[in-house]
Order: sequence, then structure tokens, then C-alpha cells
Amino acid sequence: MENILSINNISKSYGPVRALNDVSFEVPPGSVFGILGPNGSGKTTLLGILLDVLQADAGTYSWFNNPASSESRRQIGSLLETPNFYHYLSAVDNLKIAAAIKQRGHNDINNVLEKVNLLQRKDSKFQTYSLGMKQRLAIASALLGNPRVLVFDEPTNGLDPAGIAEIRDLIRQLNSEGITIVMASHLLDEVEKVCTHVAILKRGQLLLSGPVNETLRSEDQIEVSAMNLDHLKQVIASMPGIKDIKPVNGSLLLSCDNNILPEQVNKYCIDNSIVLSHLAMKKKSLETKFMELTNN
Amino acid sequence: MQAILSIEWMKVKKYRTFWILSALFLFMLPAWNYGLKNGVLKVGGNGVNILNQVYSYSYVWENIGYWTSLFVVFLSVLVIILTTNEYQFKTNRQNVIDGWSRLQFFHAKWGMVVVLSLLTTLYVFINGVVFAAAGGSMSGFPGHIEKLFYTFVLTLNYFSFSLLLAFIFKRSGITIGIFFLYSMFVETLLKSLLNWKLSSNPGNFLPLQCSDELLPFPLMDMLKTIAKMQSETNNAYYVIASFVWIIIYYLISRRLLLKSDW
Repeated sequence: MENILSINNISKSYGPVRALNDVSFEVPPGSVFGILGPNGSGKTTLLGILLDVLQADAGTYSWFNNPASSESRRQIGSLLETPNFYHYLSAVDNLKIAAAIKQRGHNDINNVLEKVNLLQRKDSKFQTYSLGMKQRLAIASALLGNPRVLVFDEPTNGLDPAGIAEIRDLIRQLNSEGITIVMASHLLDEVEKVCTHVAILKRGQLLLSGPVNETLRSEDQIEVSAMNLDHLKQVIASMPGIKDIKPVNGSLLLSCDNNILPEQVNKYCIDNSIVLSHLAMKKKSLETKFMELTNN
Repeated sequence: MQAILSIEWMKVKKYRTFWILSALFLFMLPAWNYGLKNGVLKVGGNGVNILNQVYSYSYVWENIGYWTSLFVVFLSVLVIILTTNEYQFKTNRQNVIDGWSRLQFFHAKWGMVVVLSLLTTLYVFINGVVFAAAGGSMSGFPGHIEKLFYTFVLTLNYFSFSLLLAFIFKRSGITIGIFFLYSMFVETLLKSLLNWKLSSNPGNFLPLQCSDELLPFPLMDMLKTIAKMQSETNNAYYVIASFVWIIIYYLISRRLLLKSDW
């Protein structure tokens, strides 16, 4: 099946700063593809290149297996960095311009405004909008003309918690209608909740990419405690399958192979004449994993 | 091109600044010429008014053409604001993201400049006809109608020069400042320096000056004719020079827009 987007060895520098370094990955059709990375990791630069507002120093990309063109961009709905509209025009007039450029009619303008809850304010000038309303209008504009792909850069920026939840639901719903979604975010939580695939960027380097459940798989950890912690540590260290032992607040945090279960740890301790005063299974948070990946 | 221009029209038709600056030009040009024609505006004394001009064919075109060359700065400012707005609102990016090519965005602005020049020329034509008719003389039409063509060349030169500055500087304040600084002072100084240092007046061929030469102050033109001092340089050279500059603006700005980040 054709890829929606292929990125091959894209590099870009701003003076001495390497914003992107030899980045390659592919976005399969029907996915919600998250581009994850801390601030300044090159997410927006990458999206800017893919939409032809920035020039790559090296590398190529293709949408729908065709070389990039304005024609392919007309099948993509995008929200890049900030909502960009004519301040002195109303929401409807702004969307009419966007629809004309996309070579679509005006008939779905009310539809998209309804989807983002802006229908009541459709005739107000853009400059009177709040930050969250501007963001909603940008999302409405991206939805014009039933695009095959949506590209969102930090789509929940400036929205209140209810708005964030609404946009998440909207993204899921659009994806279930068969639209592929590429979104950049620094919020791991957001990516974890809605994305099927992820690429992690750090200072312009692609750290890894692939399906979320493989790349961001959470590792289990086991927390144990006993009267004599030092002795416990010595004993546990000799147990097969234990990779790492970290003392935390009067207990030990064990990183182990996936097949190790708490009862096996318990049995091993009893066999070695130690009675555990505490035994708990802990999910290592994705947050921690993300920090590990993006820190040195 | 028609589709592109209709989108440009959608951008401006509800923009108040567009209408105010246009109205200023539309009002000032006939008002000023009305003042001159009726002797309300005077320079001189003892019954002599050097601003007094003849509004019959065939002089009407050069009179109105000359004053157009001054009032056209309102519209140059308009060109600058409409272009720098795109950078300020980042709508240049949005237009490309939505599916224009960079070249289409670029040609939209050039199309706007050409249309604005044509409309200005049409308006000057209407003014000329009305002023001549009000003078009671319909004979001699069209007179020196080639001056109307010079008016078109001049407006196209001024507007496309403004467009180039807007593409380079991207911010309205600094672009307007530089436009006025250059057109009013820098070029005058350069022209004087060049003409003083070198023979055959190369200073007359500076970017805006070559078009200004086509529509000199009317009295000067009449004096020159009377004194048979008509400049040796044929106006055709100034027309060619104007178009060469316009092509240069086009090529520079095209390269700028296609190669740079937005």
C-alpha cells in the first residue's frame, strides 16, 4: 500500500544550528502519526519543509508517492505553528479565501465551523477572537474540502481542558473516517492518547520511529522492601532476569525482564530466607521513558 | 490568473485601509487639479501664477500626469501595506500551505500591481476628459495622449518598486520609511551627483527618476519647447529604461521569494 508521506534524509541548518539532521521516516495510510520531541527539537521546521514554506538543505519528501507540488498540498489540511488569518476579515471571509485557494466551493464552510463550535461567531472579525478561538478556526480551515491528510502542529495549543478533549475526540473521529493525521507535539500524554505511530526527535536527530505500542512500550518495574534492605539487595542482585536495582525511599525498585512476575520475586526471596514487607508491581511511566530518550 | 486575482480581491474588498488610501487618491487628484484650474492654488505674484496650467487638449494629459506622479505615493503605500500585511499575518505561508505555489503567491501580488496601474491610468484618463470638457473645448482630442501611456509606465514603475521593497523588508513601517527616503531624497541626491560628475545625465536613468523624466513639471516642459531646449534624450529611452527597471524588480523579487524561507 502506498505511503501517505515519505521523508528521505532531510537536513536543514539555521546558520551554525543544525535544526534537522538526516531525518527519514514514513507515514502509513490511516495512521495518527505523532512527531514527538521537546521544544526546539525541529518538529515545526520539519512540518514547514513538508509544506514548502521552508527550504531543506538536503533530502527529499513525497506526498502520496508523488513529488511535492501545490496540487498535493491542496489535499492536505494544515495548521502550522500559529493560526494565520487576515485580522480584519471575519471567520467566514477568511475561510472563503482558504477554500478558493484549495479550489473548493464554499458549501462546507458552515459545516467545519460547526465542528469546532464557532458557528455563532462566524461573522466576527478574526482580531476579536481569543487564542483558543483562533486555534479552532485554524482547525476548521484545515478541515475544509475533506482533505486526505491533516497536518497539525501542536493542535491543542491555547485550548482549555474541555477544548483539548474536544479536539482529541475530533482527531479520533476524523481518523476513524479514514483521514491520516500527522501531528507534532511536545506533550507525550497527547501522543500516547491519540497516536498509532510516533517519531521522536531530539535536537534535529530522529531517535526512533514506529508504532506507538512498540516504541513507547512501558516497562514493568517491581518495588520490594524488607527489614534488612542491604541484605535484600545482595540477594535480589543474584536473581536471574533482574536488570537494575535502584533504592527509592526505603524500598528497592527493580527493572526486570518482561517475563518476571512479582510472585517469582517473592518466591525467590522466601527461598533465600527473606520475608518481604512490601511487594508491588509498578508501571514505568511513559514520561520517564520519554525523558530517558530525550536526555543524554 | 483570473482566479488568483479574484482571491486578491477577496483579501482587500473588506479592508478599510484599502478604501481610505484609494479614496484619498481618488479625491486628491481631481481636487488638486480643480484648485489649479481655478487659480485657488497659486505660486507667484503680480498676476503671474507659475502653477497656472492649461486644461485643454493637448496639455491636459501632461498636467494631470505630472500631478498623478506625486499623488501616486498614496497608492504605493497601499501596495506596501497589502504586501507586508501578508508577512505580518503570516498569510503568505498560509496561502502556500493551502495550496498555492510560491510562484502563484508572487504573481498574485504582481497581478495586483498591474491592475492597480491600469485602473490608475483609466482614472487619469477620465479626469483628463472631464477637465478638458469643463474647459469647454472638446476639439483637439486626444492631444498628447502618449503622456497617458507615460502615466501608466510611471505608476507601474512606482508600484512594482514598492512591491520589491515590501518583499525585501517585510515590515510595513520600515518599508514605507525606506520608500519615502529613497524616492524623495536619496534618488534626488544620487541623480544630482551623477549628472554633476558625468556627462549625458546618467542620473536621469535611476529606477524611479527615469519615469519621472517622462512627466516633468508642465511649465518646465513648455519653457523647454519654447526655448527649443527639449532634452536630447528621447522619451522612448526613458520608457525603455523604466521597463528594464521593472523587469529587474521582477527578477530580483522572484529569486528572493523562490529561494528563501517564508
